[in-house]
Amino acid sequence: MSMNLDMISLNSEFSEGTGLRTEEMLLNVGPQHPSTHGVFRLVVKIDGETIKESLPVIGYLHRGTEKLAEGLNYTQIIPYTDRMDYLSAMTNNYVICHAVETMMGIQIPERADFLRVIVMEMNRIASHLVWWGTYLLDIGAMSPFLFAFRDREMILELFNELCGARLTYNYMRIGGVKWDAPPGWIEKVKEFVKHLKKEIENYHALVTGNEIFINRLQGIGKFDAKTAIDYSLSGVMLRSTGVKWDLRKDEPYSVYNRFEFDVPTATEGDCLARYQLRMAEIEQSLRILEQALGQFPEEGEIMGKVPKVIRPPQGETFVRIESPRGEIGCYIASNGKDKPWRMKFRRPSFNNLQILPKLLKGENISNMVAILGSIDIVLGEVDA
Amino acid sequence: MLGFAKGLGYTFKQLTAKKVTHFYPDVPYPMPPRFRGIQHFSPEKCIVCNQCARICPTECIQLTGKPHPDPEKKGKIIDTYDINFEICILCDLCTEVCPTNAIVMTNNFELATYSRDELFKNLNWLDDNNTNVREEN
Amino acid sequence: MSEEKRKPTPEEKAKAAAEAREKLEAARKAKEEQAAQASAPEAVASSPEQNAVKAEAEPASADQLAQAKAEAAAKAKAAAAAAAAAKAKAAREAAEGGATDTKAAETEAGGADADAKAKAAAAAKAKAAAAAAAAAKAKAAREAAEAGATETEAGGADADAKAKAAAAAKAKAAAAAAAAAKAKAAREAADGGAAETEAGGDDADAKAKAAAAAKAKAAAAAAAAAKAKAAREAGEGGAAGAEAGGDDADAKAKAIAAAKAKAAAAAAAKAKAAGGDAADTEAAPKAPSKNQPHLDHIVKLITEKFGSEVIEASYINELAKEVPTLVIKNENWHDVAKFLKENDELSFDYLSNLHGVDYEDRMEVYYHFYSYKNRQNLAVKVKTDREQPTVASVMNIWSGANWNERETYDLLGIYFPGHSELRRIMLPEEWVGHPLRKDYVPFDEEV
Repeated sequence: MSMNLDMISLNSEFSEGTGLRTEEMLLNVGPQHPSTHGVFRLVVKIDGETIKESLPVIGYLHRGTEKLAEGLNYTQIIPYTDRMDYLSAMTNNYVICHAVETMMGIQIPERADFLRVIVMEMNRIASHLVWWGTYLLDIGAMSPFLFAFRDREMILELFNELCGARLTYNYMRIGGVKWDAPPGWIEKVKEFVKHLKKEIENYHALVTGNEIFINRLQGIGKFDAKTAIDYSLSGVMLRSTGVKWDLRKDEPYSVYNRFEFDVPTATEGDCLARYQLRMAEIEQSLRILEQALGQFPEEGEIMGKVPKVIRPPQGETFVRIESPRGEIGCYIASNGKDKPWRMKFRRPSFNNLQILPKLLKGENISNMVAILGSIDIVLGEVDA
Repeated sequence: MLGFAKGLGYTFKQLTAKKVTHFYPDVPYPMPPRFRGIQHFSPEKCIVCNQCARICPTECIQLTGKPHPDPEKKGKIIDTYDINFEICILCDLCTEVCPTNAIVMTNNFELATYSRDELFKNLNWLDDNNTNVREEN
Repeated sequence: MSEEKRKPTPEEKAKAAAEAREKLEAARKAKEEQAAQASAPEAVASSPEQNAVKAEAEPASADQLAQAKAEAAAKAKAAAAAAAAAKAKAAREAAEGGATDTKAAETEAGGADADAKAKAAAAAKAKAAAAAAAAAKAKAAREAAEAGATETEAGGADADAKAKAAAAAKAKAAAAAAAAAKAKAAREAADGGAAETEAGGDDADAKAKAAAAAKAKAAAAAAAAAKAKAAREAGEGGAAGAEAGGDDADAKAKAIAAAKAKAAAAAAAKAKAAGGDAADTEAAPKAPSKNQPHLDHIVKLITEKFGSEVIEASYINELAKEVPTLVIKNENWHDVAKFLKENDELSFDYLSNLHGVDYEDRMEVYYHFYSYKNRQNLAVKVKTDREQPTVASVMNIWSGANWNERETYDLLGIYFPGHSELRRIMLPEEWVGHPLRKDYVPFDEEV
């Protein structure tokens, strides 16, 4: 949350050509601003309409998750992870469970693994739908937001039936999942997949083909693969520059290696490419869902064999998985006790946001919101 | 302009689509059976094992026990039981560890009040909160 | 002691191999005096060159073992073949040109003892690598066993190895044991030796004599999944006895990082253990990993460029999906970091994670790198003093380090000289203290 405006100096100069005196000014965006999708503050120095410099200020939502985790046992930490990336809590649940399971060598029953993959992919779709709706709202289109939330609501309802919550699921446990699928739930998910496949076509008709929309986004917020890697970007931010990298494919975890799916990439590296990739990812997630639902084991355990008190062996681990926003990682240093000595989450939003000042430099002020939106940040995750 | 027109077409088609909104405050919104709402507490079932208080990630449960009034019987019975709903995150862990299902979730979720003090619920209040109790725990 | 006679279970053999390897490692470690890492394996009397190596090692945490291994690795190149990919062939090759005497080892339930005597001709170089990996096939073990005998007992394994090597011989032996290691490994270990195995307990005696000019590399890989073959290989040049029994323990062992022992001592090394025998190792759960060659390569490149002293330790972190892990000396970190990114063969261009850890006696900064070119992971740790924690900034190498270093500074108080604007990022500027430090006391209780 710290900020130091002294770092930004303002110039004023007199232009002989126009006979006008121009002055640079500071514009404060946020922390309470609809386009920042949370409490994010951006101080920009503008000269006319051109952004000269920008200073992101974060930390307004810092709750000290990592500090809190040191005083909790592993099961108790899981509900806290729900609140980091609250748009895809399932992947956060998974990353901590996966880290502990990796340390302890716990085997997960097949049915639990499938349930995990199904909810993670549904959550990915839900997260992308929120992004899709709000991003278009940012750049001036109202109706897509309503459609996106209508369909996302179906996913939340399904989650509500499964685990009793709409956002903070607390669904996974070390070694498995808390709830088995209720009767008929799998069929409902299948229906939803069918429904969304159809709707995706409509989304494309509604927005993707729109000439105004394309012209608005093409070519802004551009960067290349080298920059993306240098800035530790991940997820769609990275793939939009042509780097084909998806942890589900390249370092498979859970049962992802059983499914066929593509990793969509683009080479333009601009906002439009990121839009297209996220839409393509929804379709790929639907593909994974279809296969996962088709191969879903008829019956089986949902909890593996787990010691009563979870004490990972002394040592440290770092695992990373693919969240909707990129690469989410969990580091645990354990001293053999039931509470972590140190826990650290590698949060994709936090790392992806770093490149913002570079992208904004020299851009028109009207592109600011479009570029910020295309990064797809969740402030709960940025600030942890 | 073709893409633009196609988009408009989809929007207009929604005029005849079925409504998906709810009249929520006027018509109660039914929650599915597993929904995690405000807890119901049954004092007669509680064996004062303290597991719920210990598992709570936010330490919002406080309880005390007293010796069993019937000297013939061993163990304790519950004396006070408070949940602070200012910080309770309804994570479901207390109901998960309870060996006797003394504390269970209900489908009630409306907690809005005018004062934060009212969010401090005691044993009697939780006992009376006995509607829509969740069956599966 | 014929091979046919002995039918050790894979686990037993693997275990034995692992233990042997541990002993070697411990010995080496003692010799080199590693940095004090708490709870490192204890090494009792040992110096490979003296030919006497007796070391008792207790399984420590994987990290510790791993670090120990790393330290030991100095001159010794132990090829720990991890995983399935480690073929036993290596071990066999190691034995090439050498004769190995292996004495069978007796194995008792609860523990395994391995005695290995190896004589190597003068010029012989023997490298024995015993690697235990979950996936390691037993073949590896056999090779390891060359010139050695291993005894394994159920539940526990002790390995005594006697190795005599000709004067000039250099022997490297790495023994790794993993829980799941199948018995095949053990058998392989016994290669070049004789092994007796009894149901419930196996005895293996192997005598291996290595020819003078021979270079023997024995890789014994024992892993949880490791097939028994590994054990056999491990036994090369030594004897390994393994008894079925504590499979679980082995499995845990797997978790433990793979140990690298330049056992030169071992097999080949004329090593006579003090008391006339080689190394005693107890419980050694180390698994050579599929990433071991990769780690060796990185270590080699860095060593060539900066000398061996910049690497304080290198090991495979079994707990973190077998990621190769380096501990780099603080003063050299910035140069090494630049090298990691800019060297063509390394090109770790992606900084995935950066954070600090407070261990109360020291601070550490943990980096996780990825190379998109080589598709390889690498973890690096840099230690620093706790009073004035300072680690060179890598922001000018990876731009992504910018906010991560600020966060580490904010929450742990580690300074990153070279960072362009090292300010707090999560907490307000006027915040007192660094919350993630273990001795942090909130300045204002109300907050």
